[in-house]
Amino acid sequence: MKSEKLPILQAVDIRRTYPGVVALGGVSLDLFPGEVHALVGENGAGKSTLIKIICGALAPDSGELLFQGRAVAWPNPVAARTRGIVTVHQEPELFPTLSVAENMALAAGLPLRGSGLVDWNRVHRQARETVRQIGERIDVRRPASRLSVAHRQMIQVAAAILRNAKVVVLDEPTSALSGEEARWLFRQIERLKGGGAGILYISHRQEEIFRLADRITVLRDGLKVWTRARQAAGPEETIEAMVGRPASALEASPSSQASSPAIKEGPVRFQVSGFTDRGDRFRQIELEAGSGEIVGIYGLVGAGRSELARAVFGLRPADGLIRIDGSRCEIGRPREALNAGIAYVPEDRLSQGLCLGLPVRSNTVLSTLRRWTRRLLASRTREQQATRQVAGRLEVRYRSTEQPVQQLSGGNQQKVVLGRWLLAQPKVLILDEPTRGVDVGAKAEIHRHLRLLAREGCAILLISSELPEVMEHSDRVVVFREGEIAGEFDPRQAGPARVAAAALPRQSAEEASAAEARSTGPRFQGRSFNELALLICVAGLGLWLTVSTEGFSLLNLLTHTSLWAILGLAAATVIVGRGIDISIGSMVALSAACTAMVLKLPYSPELLIPSAILAGLLAGTAAGVLNSVLALLGGLHPIVVTLGTLTIYRGLVIAMLGGRPMTGLPPEFGKLAIDPATGFRGAVAVAALVVLLVYLWMAHTRSGRHVYALGSSPRAAGLLGLSRARLWPVTFGLGGLLAGVAGVLQLSMGQQMQARLGAGWELSAIAVAVIGGVGITGGRGTVLGVVLGALLLRLVNSALVRWGVSDQQTDLVVGSLILAALLLDLAWRGWER
Amino acid sequence: MSRLDRVGAGVETALPGKRSKRWLFGLLPWVLLALALLLVFSQVRRPALLVDVWVPWIEVGTLAFVMTAIILTGGIDLSVGSMVALTGMVQAVLWQDWGWSIEAAAAGALLAGALAGGLNGLLVVAGLSPLVATLATMALYRGLAITVAGGERITGFPQSFLDMGRLLGVPSQFWLAGLIFLGMVLLVHHSRFGRWCFAMGDNRQAARFAAVPVNKVEGVLYTINGLVAASVAVLGAMRHDASIPDAHIGTELQVIACVVVGGTLITGGRGTVLRSLLGLAVISHLDVGLQFLSSRLVWLTAESRLIAIGILLILVAVWNQRSQKEN
Repeated sequence: MKSEKLPILQAVDIRRTYPGVVALGGVSLDLFPGEVHALVGENGAGKSTLIKIICGALAPDSGELLFQGRAVAWPNPVAARTRGIVTVHQEPELFPTLSVAENMALAAGLPLRGSGLVDWNRVHRQARETVRQIGERIDVRRPASRLSVAHRQMIQVAAAILRNAKVVVLDEPTSALSGEEARWLFRQIERLKGGGAGILYISHRQEEIFRLADRITVLRDGLKVWTRARQAAGPEETIEAMVGRPASALEASPSSQASSPAIKEGPVRFQVSGFTDRGDRFRQIELEAGSGEIVGIYGLVGAGRSELARAVFGLRPADGLIRIDGSRCEIGRPREALNAGIAYVPEDRLSQGLCLGLPVRSNTVLSTLRRWTRRLLASRTREQQATRQVAGRLEVRYRSTEQPVQQLSGGNQQKVVLGRWLLAQPKVLILDEPTRGVDVGAKAEIHRHLRLLAREGCAILLISSELPEVMEHSDRVVVFREGEIAGEFDPRQAGPARVAAAALPRQSAEEASAAEARSTGPRFQGRSFNELALLICVAGLGLWLTVSTEGFSLLNLLTHTSLWAILGLAAATVIVGRGIDISIGSMVALSAACTAMVLKLPYSPELLIPSAILAGLLAGTAAGVLNSVLALLGGLHPIVVTLGTLTIYRGLVIAMLGGRPMTGLPPEFGKLAIDPATGFRGAVAVAALVVLLVYLWMAHTRSGRHVYALGSSPRAAGLLGLSRARLWPVTFGLGGLLAGVAGVLQLSMGQQMQARLGAGWELSAIAVAVIGGVGITGGRGTVLGVVLGALLLRLVNSALVRWGVSDQQTDLVVGSLILAALLLDLAWRGWER
Repeated sequence: MSRLDRVGAGVETALPGKRSKRWLFGLLPWVLLALALLLVFSQVRRPALLVDVWVPWIEVGTLAFVMTAIILTGGIDLSVGSMVALTGMVQAVLWQDWGWSIEAAAAGALLAGALAGGLNGLLVVAGLSPLVATLATMALYRGLAITVAGGERITGFPQSFLDMGRLLGVPSQFWLAGLIFLGMVLLVHHSRFGRWCFAMGDNRQAARFAAVPVNKVEGVLYTINGLVAASVAVLGAMRHDASIPDAHIGTELQVIACVVVGGTLITGGRGTVLRSLLGLAVISHLDVGLQFLSSRLVWLTAESRLIAIGILLILVAVWNQRSQKEN
């Protein structure tokens, strides 16, 4: 029946190699409209590479991709997406500082109005429609960092439906979803199928695959083993095909129910009572685990299981009693938990478990360093011995103890984390999703080791969202629901259905979403708060100065502020794109020097002044672009590059001046900034124009928003085809251009060029940006904030002069202001969380 | 059977040829050092006279050894130069205006250094980006240094104090540098504390989840930095018979340059203290050598020296980055 239709997507003999590894060695695959095609294989089998090639994140070395019968080569993921190929990644990459709505729109390209500016109304309207699909109440204007992983995935699926996707690639879509949410997903998949979309479904979970898939393709070691219709492929054969050896060999472990002696609890090793999270993620938890017991903790994502684990390990504040072997423990920090005999294997191996760049040895011994230290001296030899011993026990496959841990496969990395805690000889071991993203073979090994560990007397808490995992490998299952324990089951007696049912929320879906809306309802937004606070400060100080100071002129204030606003924006544009430029001061000097050099040429002022200004601006822009080019080509951190160019540009300026200040510039040039005859302030006009243009660019154009996206999350930006290589020359170049504007203005106002001009201004520029609310880690900040920051700095300075504080204390004031701004921002973010 | 089989299957062998390349990459700073040394010794007849020329650079080096550890944790301290100036002024003011003995004033300076460094540590522990936090304190401490004595330099310390500026005929700065170097090598490469630093620099969250006391490590390191800055200030006062409020402007950049040229990753997690010594040797020899050379070559002025050092910094940093990738 399917053969009558044409495949919507075909991959023909795709090959892709990485240095030393053949990721795909000629894989062919086809996908028909209206079918669910499951792609299975162990980690490293080539699934991810194939997906990346299909969605345009990676180009194949050879082979063809046919979409709707025509050969295509995606230049980037956006191209694939606009043609109707939507990929929902396992852990959706988000731009945490951007709004939910903008996150959704960025993937498909921000919609533009006729004027070429971003159509924000449409962005928000589309986002609200998508959110309605899920039936959840989410404020699409809030930063995406507040979304749960489940919501992130659901939103992507909903967006795929709304956009009439032709091909949907789902990469482990249920790994973060609860049972209820997974059922929603399955309904949506049916809907997509009905609409004629082809679905490529990647999952480690057998029951999902056999429930959903029409056909199954197995990959192993970069090659296709077979493609079969679901009816023709049994679970046993599938696993065999995946691992290349009989499935029975894998499961022959003491963990299987039959061979496990019915251990009743030994002495109680671990007990928490009245345990309540200060952030209200769980309440009044009573839980105990005996020596030799594996307690499975099952619950939906967000039920409070991981938070409980973290609180027990001292990573979250909580009230209540923890007893180990009957004696009470005070645990406020991880170190105290470790000393009490608690070990914790975190949920996210890559970001919480491992130091990826460090060797296997360092990662393994990290928590037990004291034991390998003699007379305060650490010993690499003893550390290596310990590493080899525990790695041998866990059968970790590695080359040497000094090999960076990032070169290991996922399963082996997880074993390194486990090994770290085995060395600590814990009395209580808490594992949070220990087998997520781990291949079948390593999974079975990890389960076997847990059982062995329990036999040695350890009490084990096994947290998992996979029901089969807790049912098969624990002696007792505790179900979490909405921060409370909903029940306890004996996995040998209770059926999976009963356990799963206990985890479901009591409230009806509507009540729950209403509760969600209440708890996360409209609140004062952090960013606008920041600007409002600044505005109040500025207005207050300004008013007081106007009233109390004779001859206080707003125009004078603005003139002096204009320079700082421009410099602040120069720093801000670079910082928002996750760069930093500490050569701003030198660039100001370089531009001013170039301008001054041209002005000294013996031509008429009418000709000279425009060309001099142009020369200054060009010099600044060139210097900025050079900074970014050096950083990109050399693969260097921009601090290092601009540290170097800071001295180089300054050296150039001194060389140009030849050791003498340059004076006697044409008087017409001086009138540009401030014309004493007419009172016209060119500086203010220029600053206003600059502010307006930078605002339009940063807030209302695609490229401006792309800079925010890059700053917010370089990895997520990479998936959209946005890279530093494309955007940094723009942001650094703009930073240089603005520094150039400031240089020309300063020269015009000062009418003199000397070698130290602008020295140290980079710090004030960064200060203005930071006071104005620009986040130093990128992706946060507004033009209005920067302008207000500049005004505030200037006003405080005027106020100090008014109070008779000497000029010398400017540094003191600037420093205190930055600190105050930073601490306020920190406090605000903490409170908001 | 399957167990042995699988363990064996996973063992990979090291690729040949990689080691030799790595060795080649490590060579560059040494070649540069040799060139710089050649430059210096071709210009000077009696190198022993040079000891005093080197004192400013030795001060930079002393600070660079501590900065290496801070950068290893993924941090940075831009306020070092300001801390040196501030603690120097604190000592002078305590002695001149408050009538403390010069020894007590020196102790006061050390205390001030520890406090200043401790504040940096507190801010970083509170969750501020080290770059911005120390940028702020850099301005703050500089402002304080200027304020405490109204922007004036203070001189006229007792002779007994000035006599301590040399120990066994060598400026005391050298002894301090040696001491700090040894201390930091032990701390960073041969202690539990050092292992923690590397882990934090690689992945701060993972370190925290592995029960590394990240706050303690940061607090201690920034405080040590303040203390060392104060020691440099006290020795500086002995040498110059003056405490100067605008001393050591831009020192932080020289310090960071030494660390970076040495090959420590600016983002943390990789580097050594010994290599920072190498970085110091390269930059200082080049600078001193060019200084001497400039008396003969007219075109070799202060600005071309600046440009040379800037270019060197970028070149060596690029080279280091490449060699990291190669490994």
